[in-house]
Amino acid sequence: MIQGLFDNGAMPALERMVQFTESRHRVLTNNIANLSNPYYKSQDLDPKSFQATLAQAIDERRRTITPTAGPLNVRDTAELRFQPGSLHGQPGEVTDTVLKHDESNVDLERTMQRLAENHLAHNTAIELIRNQFALLESAIRERT
Amino acid sequence: MFGSLDISTSALVAQRTRMEVISANIASRDAIIEDATGNFAPYRRRMAIFSTGDPSTGSAEGVHVSEIALDQSAFRKKYEPESRYADKEGYVEYPNIDPAMEMINGLEATRAYEANITAVEATKSMLQSSLRILA
Repeated sequence: MIQGLFDNGAMPALERMVQFTESRHRVLTNNIANLSNPYYKSQDLDPKSFQATLAQAIDERRRTITPTAGPLNVRDTAELRFQPGSLHGQPGEVTDTVLKHDESNVDLERTMQRLAENHLAHNTAIELIRNQFALLESAIRERT
Repeated sequence: MFGSLDISTSALVAQRTRMEVISANIASRDAIIEDATGNFAPYRRRMAIFSTGDPSTGSAEGVHVSEIALDQSAFRKKYEPESRYADKEGYVEYPNIDPAMEMINGLEATRAYEANITAVEATKSMLQSSLRILA
């Protein structure tokens, strides 16, 4: 019964979104930490492949008898392992940046941009979760 | 999520260690070290060598200073025949330190430190918004 409350509507998708942005934040932070480390190769988790697999899971749920309720069955990708309640990321190496003379390819500007984007995506997902909880709360308290 | 803070902190520690090495280099720009028996040698330039991973938390992520290496490049020679450190030709060997290079490395370390502080701020903001779910 209580699980039904949390597996409803956008909640499972938002939960995965927060898990993904937290994993990606860790990877990006590691890139910034290794900014002046020679031979270090930049890593990243691709948000596009995450969004594709999440969209597929939402589509699949939409085709069941309960289109807006029930857990999402998100498929693993090359980089992401989805487990119930957690997500394991295997970040891939970034290859489209300039390789510098010290054999490092960390692009600070790009990394900071990704960090900011990811930060905002995380906070947006959290804000939407708060909204869902506020809706639940008003239903429980029978007030608007 | 707290792991991200560990990663950024490891980088802050590494960059500060690097800055300390740079400061020591600048401070010892003209230092000739002499021991009690009268042997002397100019101060050799030090370099902080970075490696990935953080031994303090046992994590493969993050960065740490794995070694303080000595710069084996040639010493600066100055013609000072009256000095007691002069060799047979009258030259004194001074440390192989170029202040301009040290300043630029120092600037880079400062900027890298700042980039990590920005990452810490982002992590804190994300943590704070996650905690607000409960409130």
